[in-house]
Amino acid sequence: MTCQELDERLDGWVDGELDARAAAEVEAHLAACALCQERERRLRQLLAHAASLPRSLTPPRDLWPGIARRVERERSWSWAGGLQPWALAAAATVVVGLVAVLWTGRAPSAVRTVEIPAATPEARLAALPSVSDPVVAAAERDYEAAANALLEALQQRQAEIRPETLVAVRANLEVIDRALAEVREALVKNPSNPELNRMLVATHRKKVDVLRRVVRLSTAL
Amino acid sequence: MEGLAGAVLGETLTHMRDNEDRRAAERRLVQAAQNGDLLAFERLYRENERKVFALCLRLSSDAALAEELTQEVFVRAWRKLASFRGESAFSSWLYPLTVNVALSERRARRRRDARIFATDDPASLERAPGVPRPEAGFDLQKAMASLPPGARAVFVLHDVEGRTHEEIAAMLDLAPGTSKAQLFRARRLLREALGS
Repeated sequence: MTCQELDERLDGWVDGELDARAAAEVEAHLAACALCQERERRLRQLLAHAASLPRSLTPPRDLWPGIARRVERERSWSWAGGLQPWALAAAATVVVGLVAVLWTGRAPSAVRTVEIPAATPEARLAALPSVSDPVVAAAERDYEAAANALLEALQQRQAEIRPETLVAVRANLEVIDRALAEVREALVKNPSNPELNRMLVATHRKKVDVLRRVVRLSTAL
Repeated sequence: MEGLAGAVLGETLTHMRDNEDRRAAERRLVQAAQNGDLLAFERLYRENERKVFALCLRLSSDAALAEELTQEVFVRAWRKLASFRGESAFSSWLYPLTVNVALSERRARRRRDARIFATDDPASLERAPGVPRPEAGFDLQKAMASLPPGARAVFVLHDVEGRTHEEIAAMLDLAPGTSKAQLFRARRLLREALGS
């Protein structure tokens, strides 16, 4: 066995992974070669040092406050407020998905006849439990009115819009409406939660944004 | 002789009871945290932060990044807590999550800012008392930082943390043979870097 060959087997040797024959060859070479003995000694020393490194180290500062802040923020946005994370994620991807469908014309389903949902009757909002923050309640009424106006505009153009697009619009509006219902429900349980108030307004804004984009893009296509 | 055997057995049983008590206490903390108790989760954090931080530091070779990675690990652990069924120790459940976060975050950051070694001296964090360096000039931590990330990860997990190639292969999504090849490569590079 040459020194080069021993070098290639040294790791297997120190890890005890060589078969009996290979191990005997390495042993015989080591017994006769001071240079390789030194190599072996150095490798074992490296491994001993690596194994002696502490597996526990105290971070130089307290990392918990940063973790707690992030966890609290996520909690107030999701399940602790009674809101399902899927609804938030789905609502957040609606705009991108819709624009993609409008421009590519790819059909998410084979349904050929679909209608844009009717504008929400004003009575529906009035019948829901009231949002306690008057500013949020007013914003909600304004957004609902804007959404209704856009829905009516979209219905008038319905015949000009591709059925696949209508399927996507309808599906996405349903997602947003479900998210709105969940935020609202959570807000009734936790009326003072500022994140939920912001979420409600942001989701309304998203709905109006989506409708506005659809109206604009449908006229451009 | 009987007295000695009895003492050893007694010590072993005490140790087992201690372990059982610890596991039971940990299970209660996990259940409380799964029900949204942030204080219980903080206790779990305090129990495990040092191990997680050490592993993040070794895998990233960057003290500032290791702090961020540690925080990220526990935020993700909070999100995934519902999937922990208590079949293993919490620290065992946390281990692959830590490896995954440390390696994936580091890859993402390297793409963003090509950061290599941002800390002044990460080795200063780990000169634990009573652990002498084997020889003058033998700066293993610095040499580890210069390894390619894949080879470093396997070296850390195998030779520092004592994991098997099978465990490493499962965590890093590699074949065990690839893990072995990366380990030998890392050792060879370290031996060269350390002048042997």
